[in-house]
Amino acid sequence: MNDETYGIIGVFTTPSAMTAAAARIVALGFRRVEAYAPCPVPEAARILHPQHSRRRWFLAAALFLGGVSGALWGYFIQYWDAVLSYPIIVGGRPLDSWPAFIVSAVEFGLLCAIAAGLFALLVTCRLPLLYDPIDNAEEIVRASRDRFVLFLAANDASFERGIVRRLFERLDAERIEEVAR
Amino acid sequence: MVDRGPEGRAVVTTLINLPPDAPIIGPGVNLARLNEEIAGRVLSPRPPLWWTLSFGFSLLLVIVLVVAMAWVFVFAVGTWGINIPVAWGLAIAEYVWWTGLAAGAMLLSALFYVTGSPWRPATQRIAEAAVLGSLAAGGIMPILHLGRQGLFYWNFPYSTVMAVWPNFLSPLLWDFVSILCFVVSGVFFYYIGILPDLASLRDMARAPRKQFLYGLAALGWRGSARQWQSHRTAYELTAAVMAALVISVHGVVGLDFAGGLTPGWHSTQFPPYFFFGAVLSGTGLVLMLAIGLRHAYNLQDIITGYHLNILAKLVLVGSLLLVYSYLWEGFGAIYGSDIAVHTMYMDRLTGFYAPAFWARLALNAVIPQLLWLPIVRRSEILLVLISLGAVIGMWLEPYMIVVQSLHRDYMPSYWGEYWPTFWDWATLAGSVGLFLVIFLLLIRLVPVVSMFQMRQLVEEARPQ
Repeated sequence: MNDETYGIIGVFTTPSAMTAAAARIVALGFRRVEAYAPCPVPEAARILHPQHSRRRWFLAAALFLGGVSGALWGYFIQYWDAVLSYPIIVGGRPLDSWPAFIVSAVEFGLLCAIAAGLFALLVTCRLPLLYDPIDNAEEIVRASRDRFVLFLAANDASFERGIVRRLFERLDAERIEEVAR
Repeated sequence: MVDRGPEGRAVVTTLINLPPDAPIIGPGVNLARLNEEIAGRVLSPRPPLWWTLSFGFSLLLVIVLVVAMAWVFVFAVGTWGINIPVAWGLAIAEYVWWTGLAAGAMLLSALFYVTGSPWRPATQRIAEAAVLGSLAAGGIMPILHLGRQGLFYWNFPYSTVMAVWPNFLSPLLWDFVSILCFVVSGVFFYYIGILPDLASLRDMARAPRKQFLYGLAALGWRGSARQWQSHRTAYELTAAVMAALVISVHGVVGLDFAGGLTPGWHSTQFPPYFFFGAVLSGTGLVLMLAIGLRHAYNLQDIITGYHLNILAKLVLVGSLLLVYSYLWEGFGAIYGSDIAVHTMYMDRLTGFYAPAFWARLALNAVIPQLLWLPIVRRSEILLVLISLGAVIGMWLEPYMIVVQSLHRDYMPSYWGEYWPTFWDWATLAGSVGLFLVIFLLLIRLVPVVSMFQMRQLVEEARPQ
């Protein structure tokens, strides 16, 4: 293994072939494996990233905290207005007329939840990303179109070029390509 | 309900069983064809003729809007037919109408992602493009309606600069906050949905300019298994929040009226009543647009009879919900003890604005009942006519609620009539143009169906 190689990709024509190959490769002890596909392939993702529940919790917590803090923030703006900064009686209502303030606070909270969801999505997907060595592979653009690509990283402890190539051949990969770093 | 598809795959369908003669995607659809048909159209340098023509027509309407706006800016809102007692006219009615269309269409996209409905991917983008267009068209209405349009930003709470605070006790300000939240979160939600498709376009584009722009918009999305996992979770969660947001936003629009003391407005049923109307009109709009686009873009095997059948049933659901509200509206007015409300309602049935009342009843409550018949749900012409009727009926409804209620207020000395002027109609035509411009641009620049979800459907339906 040399430092110029980022890894090797095997290109598959169907999601089921890719899923089967991923299961086989993980069973052989490879750890730094990733799948690239034009649509979600949930079974392959489960095999490659069984620890997804941590990211699920992160996303859910981001939405929840975004929503709650947004609602509190929205409420505070109104409280600041009506009670602290410019206390003026309107229509004989109490200064802190909380039932009327709930509406805007809730809507603003929902907005903040969705904004936090978008932000957390970008964080968990590591976006925006300006450069990814996987883009050096010629065939990778097919992975956003009509092919299902498995990638084995060269820095995996079990990585050995010849073995990986033969492995992909045995798994009936349509094409095998070495990816430069 | 859970059906077994032809391959023994469990297909979750909401509301109905799969009709045997209408599969959810045509048999000839595969990944290559999806790329060619959907992404190819986005990337082709020349838009189709129908698109150019409709875009040109919409731009003409936008010019009408600009002139109408300038007219109102110069000669003030009196150039519309509004005066005391009817101080709210078409602008407010159309604001309710457009935001209702947006809320209903967004509900189709958000709620039915949460339920995992397999028909959503084909109609989602059409619905979301319609949402953003409707929100723009509706959002300008209250601003135009302000006497001093240039001061609309006084609604924003930033007193440190202005030394003026908005009154948060007012439902009109709740409305401002809600619609603003809807617009911003609608854009975010739309972006989460199109992100993977933007990456596909980046990889398929030949022109360097398009590669650059779509690449910039796609933020480096690559479609790794890890990214798909996160995307799915984030999309599901935001869709659930979005569904809650659209329901509450259009409910707040209803609160504008419920919070007023005018007979015919002051009713606790308004938030759900308006939301029910949004289900009817929003679904009707999406159904019309879907039928138009499947012919214009030749998508008959992607937007199939299955989709039209489902959307038609949802139009029927919206109509039935609305019937319930209509019954309560009449029951409360006639059975209640308030003589002013009673007078107002009797005037609705027989007075100057009675044609609007009976027309909306026919278009929203009676005619959609035809959708009980499967033969009607299979006829595209009837579906377009019924949906168009529902959209017009839902225009008549806020028109009647706003105008007719104000013209029969408590005191007979305060009674008077309102009739829209030329500039009212010009503003309506112009807002339709603004909607169409945004809608047409979005379906031109972004795939008209959700490509990544269609690919998943195609791959799951493929015999292994």
